[in-house]
Amino acid sequence: MITKNVARRALLQGAGVGLAGAFAGRAAAQGKEPLKLGITEPLTGSEAGYGADFVTAMRMAAKDVNDQGGINGHPLELVVIDTQASPQLGINAANRLATIDKIPMFITAWSAVVKAQAPVANREKVLELSVGANAPDIAKLGDYVYTLFPLAEVDVTALAKYTYDKLGKRRAAVVFINNETGIDAAKLYKTTFEGAGGQIVLFEAYDPKATEFSGMLLKMRAANPDMVHVHGLLVDTPLIIAQMRQLGMTQRVSSYSAGYNPKLLAQLGPAAEGFIVTSLAPGVDDNKNLPGFLERWNNEVKRPPNGLPYLQYNYDSVLIAAKLYKYVLDKNQEPTGDTLRDALLAIREFNGPLTGKTIVDGHHVNKPVYLLTVENGKFVPMAKIES
Amino acid sequence: MTDPIVLLQILWTGAVTASSYVLLTVAFSLTQKVTGLWNFAQAGTMGIAFYAMYFLLNDLGQPLFAALPVAAALAGASGIATEVWGLDVLRARNSGNLTFFIFTLILAELIIYILTLLFGTEPQTLFPSILSPVHIVGGIAIGEWDLWAVGITVGALVALQLFLRLSNDGQFLIAVADNARLAELYGISARRAYCVTAAIAAVLITLAMYLFGARSGITPNSSMELILTAVIGTLLGGMGRVFMGGLASLVLALIQSYSVLVIGSRWQNLLIYGFLFVAIVVFPRGIHLPRRRLRLHAAQPG
Repeated sequence: MITKNVARRALLQGAGVGLAGAFAGRAAAQGKEPLKLGITEPLTGSEAGYGADFVTAMRMAAKDVNDQGGINGHPLELVVIDTQASPQLGINAANRLATIDKIPMFITAWSAVVKAQAPVANREKVLELSVGANAPDIAKLGDYVYTLFPLAEVDVTALAKYTYDKLGKRRAAVVFINNETGIDAAKLYKTTFEGAGGQIVLFEAYDPKATEFSGMLLKMRAANPDMVHVHGLLVDTPLIIAQMRQLGMTQRVSSYSAGYNPKLLAQLGPAAEGFIVTSLAPGVDDNKNLPGFLERWNNEVKRPPNGLPYLQYNYDSVLIAAKLYKYVLDKNQEPTGDTLRDALLAIREFNGPLTGKTIVDGHHVNKPVYLLTVENGKFVPMAKIES
Repeated sequence: MTDPIVLLQILWTGAVTASSYVLLTVAFSLTQKVTGLWNFAQAGTMGIAFYAMYFLLNDLGQPLFAALPVAAALAGASGIATEVWGLDVLRARNSGNLTFFIFTLILAELIIYILTLLFGTEPQTLFPSILSPVHIVGGIAIGEWDLWAVGITVGALVALQLFLRLSNDGQFLIAVADNARLAELYGISARRAYCVTAAIAAVLITLAMYLFGARSGITPNSSMELILTAVIGTLLGGMGRVFMGGLASLVLALIQSYSVLVIGSRWQNLLIYGFLFVAIVVFPRGIHLPRRRLRLHAAQPG
């Protein structure tokens, strides 16, 4: 219990949100009207393994805000709606938050969902904060859609360059899921790798519902790459690597931050050795708050988190949202999509306890990229690439 | 890409992948042949079989040789219960085909919904690892699981063929499939035949879900996609031709696998729907291969 409290205190001190000084305790946060923050994440469906954990992290952050007195005495209340990572359900969720619950700001994820919700956010003038989605064109979705997470141009570009420059790979194969998550990011990898002087020997999309990839992989085997980049999701990425190994293909495989998942290691065992993933959040060696957070997580959830880097961003995103509310209230303004967006652009620089400094540069976010690789069944740091 | 090793590898992996589809199609086609129904409730049976195995293996730590028969028994019990308390009641009411169709579809959705509540929607595999040891034979990668999958499928189909040809119950199934009322005049219980069919289908489905779930992540909703494959196989194979349905599934899987040589992987699933469309419009009674001349000559007098 002491450890838990210490961890929370450290997190909030690191956040620098300045909430602790406003009120002494939780009781004060219960006296005023709650400030609501919409959350749309997949709580069911194939992506629920990530989405549910993200929501858990966001609830922890909201609890920490409220334990420290809330936002100028207002408790922060999360209104969570399941999207199943489906664009249609995402639209329904955004409509409900904006028009029925009248919530001026919501946090969301998954590129297809973020894009689908954008017209609703722009029409209803509510602030849509994308946390975790990385399709490059998220930067062009309109005046009310912003990201708190670096887009693929940051980590995929860094990975492709590193693969060519440092790993010495010259012939890469790129296979990707045929949806918003995969298409643009794969193109980015291709452009970057070719720009560095490498050759893309196979560039192939697969159906999001596919479970059998042998044909595609045999095509890849014939193309003889020395590196394979997989831009897929939690379900398909381990299947592709497993089927590669079953076909006797030993090439090193890379993916992006979605591949950073302990379940993948269990499913693949030794076949995961050498697998490279990106992380846009600092690991335990680079962030003093993270060990405490992980200890708290293990105490409360009793297992390792899925998609830890995303989880770190999701925790911090709630603190950023709280900071936006505080900024608006301090200026005696009504919290609306417009005032909250203005607050985001005015504050611009945030120091999250789990992700460090985040600078919102218009519709982009720049952060260092951490590369991790699997060694002896564990993800270990491989390189840090400054943007 | 015309390297014979690549072509043979596609043939092998396509055939291995098809093994679970073949079993599901044979189960669906057999049920359609004997009962005359398109029993979409088998999607629910698939879910019960998979999650029973998953629960026994992962939550209770039971060995596979215990989990497999228990799952088959549960799946069989659900199939027989559907027959006795569902389909039989509808038959007694002289319900129309649409009523049967809607009933089985809703029952499948109900079971899937319950499984979703119990097990969640995160994809699950039967075993923590989805890999098995691989041997390279003549340049072709052959996994130990591949051999297991082919062996189980061939064994199950041979056992079914022997059962239908050699056992009384098997003969009764064929008699009921040909004409249920006439069969009953000869003292054959159609109700018993339907229950035996449900039990056989459950065993085939359990084996298929074992093969599928050992390699791929499954959610409760996966079974609705799997049953679509069984429906297409049944249509292409021709209604009432059980083993041809299985063969059609195998051919369909191979066409899908080979198609990647000429089209992008993302178009592969489109082929399934294309075949379904063609099957319904052009081959409503299935694709019939030409009869063998030898048999025709033999049938002619002197």
